[in-house]
Amino acid sequence: MVCLGAFETPDSCEEWRREYALEVPVLPDEDGTLFRRLTSGWVPWSILVGADGKVVFSENEFDEEGFSAAIADLLAGRRPSAAATAAESPMEPPSRASGSTTTVVLGGGIGGVVVARRLRARVGDGHRIIVIDRSESHLFQSSLLWLLNGSRREDQIRKPLARLRRHGIEFLNEEIIGIDVDRRLVTTARATHPFDYLVVALGARTAPESAPGFTEMAHDLYSADGCRDIRDALRRFRGGRVGVVVTSIPFKCPAAPYEAAFLVEALLRRRGIRDCCEVHLYTPEHQPMPVAEASVGASIVDMLAARGIHYHPLFTFERMRPGTKEIVDAEGRSERADLWIAVPPHRVPDVVRSAGLSGVSGWIHVDPETLRTGHPRVYAIGDVTSIRLPSGKSLPKAGVFAHHEAEVVAAEIASQIRGESSSAHFAGDGACWVEVGGGRAAFARGNFYRDPEPRMRVVAPSRLRHWAKVAFERWWLWRWF
Amino acid sequence: MKVLEESAGGVEAGESISLADLGRPAGGGRATLLVFWKRL
Repeated sequence: MVCLGAFETPDSCEEWRREYALEVPVLPDEDGTLFRRLTSGWVPWSILVGADGKVVFSENEFDEEGFSAAIADLLAGRRPSAAATAAESPMEPPSRASGSTTTVVLGGGIGGVVVARRLRARVGDGHRIIVIDRSESHLFQSSLLWLLNGSRREDQIRKPLARLRRHGIEFLNEEIIGIDVDRRLVTTARATHPFDYLVVALGARTAPESAPGFTEMAHDLYSADGCRDIRDALRRFRGGRVGVVVTSIPFKCPAAPYEAAFLVEALLRRRGIRDCCEVHLYTPEHQPMPVAEASVGASIVDMLAARGIHYHPLFTFERMRPGTKEIVDAEGRSERADLWIAVPPHRVPDVVRSAGLSGVSGWIHVDPETLRTGHPRVYAIGDVTSIRLPSGKSLPKAGVFAHHEAEVVAAEIASQIRGESSSAHFAGDGACWVEVGGGRAAFARGNFYRDPEPRMRVVAPSRLRHWAKVAFERWWLWRWF
Repeated sequence: MKVLEESAGGVEAGESISLADLGRPAGGGRATLLVFWKRL
């Protein structure tokens, strides 16, 4: 192991080595030459290089279990499972057109629902499509913010997954406890389900319990219960400081913490108590929507400033102190608020990890265009995946990508079932609204696969765009259920 | 995590790099874990 101090001097390296009692070389990269060449500019950054000089992984997201497995594989002379990608695994020949097939879709979120519906539209009833989810209903997550400001009740943003049965899709309301891609079996708490094709659309689970102090002190922005609690707390709020904090990255929907801040500010203004309140937003990101170009982030920063929302980028959250209602960052800096709204840590579902499907990033690595994993006829879409962009960063987690990816996978599976080749591919296009309060929304769209960096355009807020978001929500829930 | 300089650089899995700059010859018979850090 070699530690390299980016822009550090020999003296500071030696001081750091002694401070942590390291017995490995700690070398200075004073002018950052190696840092710039080998990384995308973030610290810490880890690169495992085999004895042959080939890079096994190069990541800034730390996944202890994935790293340990990759290092163990390398030392044992095995090809690390995390390094296997769809591009490297042999192409599975298209299935023959004859005979019935079974496609199992894990997860009834946006990706799972769209892939099942689109596949059913393309293949006959002789082929089974099974959706499995532990929840009996689909929750339209982008409308959680409207629970927060009282614009929606929960029943208005949920649809029963049993409705998929009307469209010739089997729905099993069961807990998935095992995925065996070698034996091609999915095990639930009730039964074992063999598959010919598997689509993993299990999303990202939130883990507020893994952020110290979160459950005692903060309201969860990413759950229906949490958003209702926030709504009620804001109704009772008499004045003081409201803090929105991102506890770790990545998280679903890049705009959500910013939308929460905007909506909170608008709500306080509507209640007539804005003058005795402050709204603060803390995040480890260097800009809003960090994957996009600087101008996108700058436009959102301007919107925050225009509303008097205090923006604190590069705040690397470490823990909460419930006794003093403070958040503390990695440098020991503390900030206090009277009401905390927090983005919880996001994790890959346990069943994905225990199936050995997740890569060193902790998420499932897939081919950026076909969404194939390294396993034959096994796909993964949406928030459960990690897709590296030409810029070196990861594709954000957002429903729009899950939707487009689902369309591609449905087309590819249908082609294989018919014994044809498929030209469907995901091109990296995405769009989202950004609610700014007061019945207005901005709109951002662009292409994330553009080389060298994504190209996005943000359109200024308007009431029309807010109503377009409302219309989209209504249409989407009607169209797919 | 903290960004020092946003860039489109960086090596990816599968690429070959030389560790000669670190005094380690290519094919030196050992795997190497490089960890970039910065005192914040």
